[in-house]
Amino acid sequence: MSKLTRREVLKLLLAGAVLTPWPWRAVCSAATQFPPDVVISRGTSPALITEAAVLALGGMGRFVSRGDVVLVKPNIAWDRTPEQAATTNPELVATLVRLCLEAGAKEVKVFDNPCEDPRRSYVSSGIMAAAKKAGANVSYMEERKFRRMEIKGEDLKTWEVYQEAMEVDKIINCPILKHHSLARVTMGMKNLMGLVGGDRGRIHWKLDQAIVDLAAFFKPTLVVLDAIRILTANGPQGGSLKYVKRLNTVAAGIDQVAIDAMGARLFGLQPKEMDHLRIASQRGLGRMDLTKLRIKEVKADS
Amino acid sequence: MSQWSFLALFLTLFVLTAYKGTDEIAYPVRVFLHFDPLILITTFLSSHAVPTALLLSLITVAFTLVFGRVFCGWVCPLGTLNDFMGRLCPKERRKEPLGERVRRLKYYILIVILVSSLFTLQIAGVADPISLLIRSLAVAAEPAINLMAYTVFDLLYRAHIPVVTTGSETIYAFLKQSILAFRQPFFYQGVFIGLIFAAVLLANLYRRRFWCAGLCPLGALLGLITQISPLKRLVGKGCTSCNLCVQECRIGAAADLKGEWKKAECVLCGECQEDCPRDAVRFGFLPAKASKAAGVDLQRRGVIASLCAGIFIPPLIRTDPLTKRRQGRLIRPPGALPEDEFLRRCVRCGECMKVCLTNGLQPALLEAGLEGIWTPRFDFHMGYCQYYCTLCGQVCPTGALRKLSQEEKARTKIGLAYIDKNRCIPYAQGGECIVCEEHCPTPDKAIKFEWAEVMTPEGRKRIRRPVIDLKLCIGCGICEYKCPLHDQPAIICTRLGESRADELLPF
Repeated sequence: MSKLTRREVLKLLLAGAVLTPWPWRAVCSAATQFPPDVVISRGTSPALITEAAVLALGGMGRFVSRGDVVLVKPNIAWDRTPEQAATTNPELVATLVRLCLEAGAKEVKVFDNPCEDPRRSYVSSGIMAAAKKAGANVSYMEERKFRRMEIKGEDLKTWEVYQEAMEVDKIINCPILKHHSLARVTMGMKNLMGLVGGDRGRIHWKLDQAIVDLAAFFKPTLVVLDAIRILTANGPQGGSLKYVKRLNTVAAGIDQVAIDAMGARLFGLQPKEMDHLRIASQRGLGRMDLTKLRIKEVKADS
Repeated sequence: MSQWSFLALFLTLFVLTAYKGTDEIAYPVRVFLHFDPLILITTFLSSHAVPTALLLSLITVAFTLVFGRVFCGWVCPLGTLNDFMGRLCPKERRKEPLGERVRRLKYYILIVILVSSLFTLQIAGVADPISLLIRSLAVAAEPAINLMAYTVFDLLYRAHIPVVTTGSETIYAFLKQSILAFRQPFFYQGVFIGLIFAAVLLANLYRRRFWCAGLCPLGALLGLITQISPLKRLVGKGCTSCNLCVQECRIGAAADLKGEWKKAECVLCGECQEDCPRDAVRFGFLPAKASKAAGVDLQRRGVIASLCAGIFIPPLIRTDPLTKRRQGRLIRPPGALPEDEFLRRCVRCGECMKVCLTNGLQPALLEAGLEGIWTPRFDFHMGYCQYYCTLCGQVCPTGALRKLSQEEKARTKIGLAYIDKNRCIPYAQGGECIVCEEHCPTPDKAIKFEWAEVMTPEGRKRIRRPVIDLKLCIGCGICEYKCPLHDQPAIICTRLGESRADELLPF
């Protein structure tokens, strides 16, 4: 028996490794399929692009477990129609509700604390009807369910927080991308102001700090940003169709700072121009440098 | 009994007179006022106009001409409530009918109201039973009942007692869906208006239907109409003068064989007919053997006094300085007619205040002079005028508030906003705020912001400051309501520039 040299052994091992039937395709795709940080989904159907965005992140099953109580938190702040782009697209909300229920959620709640009369805002936005139809439990927020809680933020130490929002297992934040006179653009982190009560006008005195405080406090599981129609000026309330632009886009991800940074870019701004994004990323709440994020673009056409 | 079904109908419509998820209110409770001839006559006299719907009250007149005061006995919800309270009237007081002197009062009140309205002063709503009831329920009773319900259910909710709380929450959810107000209402003068209402109800303890027999101007009007009605109350030979009918009559109109039936008082409840042990009482049209009916007996002195009162009250009330120059903060609902015309039509039923989404519409006390008592005015501390809402104009029974389309509403100025730069945070402190700009609902923004460089204790900085575009401002008051300086808002709306005044403006 001739002795194998070290070199021969290495050669054999290499040959064996190459010839062994490894599931090469799977290994390669696993590396690429590792969920992206931000998914940009484009297409004309709000429902389809929402579903595609969630799918590209690994599907709703990644975020919602069987038996979960989920809060889908849209922006229902104003007595405006979907065309006026001051509130989240109702089809987007309904799609998220459906996906949560399909993923096995026990209950999906939808509520917001509007700036105007809640009854009119829930109706005009079309969200109450769409979400109910999709199987959600849509409710008006009630005074008695607010409790003063420790926020432990830089600006907000304690504040009135809606109890029901604290009792759910998962929060899916689904804001709309729109102009905001004070914060420049309002997106995910700002949308969480709809889960607190108290004198919200006063939050505006140090708005950027407060937005980050609330984002750090609520930590939503998933953010799905509605950029289907965006309001480019006179936000957050709008009203004139002159300033509504159709982008037919949805951005989704788990890093709320990254999604808002993406939103700023979709709006035409640099993320670092936005004070609350800068503060959030400095505080380590998430990443806003879009060049260092894995961004996946998908198209969904009907 | 149909008396109760009319009350139930009234209360149902009352509850439905609120925002229920659609822009239009299908069945406002104002229909009861449309059947009220006192409102028809006074509106006609004071404003020389007749809103078509008010012609429905001719049906009431026709019924009264034939059957007497059936409206009072069967339809009027206040009458029914009085009957309900009358059950608490002690036995010994039931036997003694209300004296004639008190009964005459209602005619004198009617004369004052009619003569005043002839001189364009519309004060019928103050004493009209339907107006009084809707107003009392909307401004006093409903808020109190709501507060009671919310307090109890909130307490149980907080206490979190196992089985009890589950039960109470189920009831709470049902009540919220059905009768409770969406949000706890708060009204100025709820106590005042509530006390008057309580007095009307408690007067039944003194004499049953004291209000209907002694004070109600609508009852007086219908009573006068009955005088030409062919209706008769027949007391047959069987009558033994047992006095049962006289004692049991809820309004003191019944009489035995010898006495005189007070036709103008009788509300046609029919109890004397039912209760008569000898079946001697019958109502009918044939003059077989009619018992004598007493006519309306007014004293010349009283009539002259009330005529004089009716003539002198309008000018006296209008010597108020507020007639010469209206208060700046008196802001009327959108759709309000020009002030004079508005005052000639408003019957102070309070429906507009009930439907107001934000609780911003409040009853005036003296803000519009005594003439404008309980008319609606905006109080932007309490609420504001929602941009797309047109409910108040939809429920107004007399057209004092016009029904506006949403487009018309969006164009209607009820006032203008101005900034108090001594208090406004960006101006006074150099801080960020502009909550008013954010909430301004006009699509092109009546509140804009300008960039300004300011010196603050922390050094120089650039901030945004609100500025108002008066051309776009509609005076809705949301800026004032939402201004974070709640103690004394730094942005305030006044009546300047209201569309209905059609004034020349500095822009």
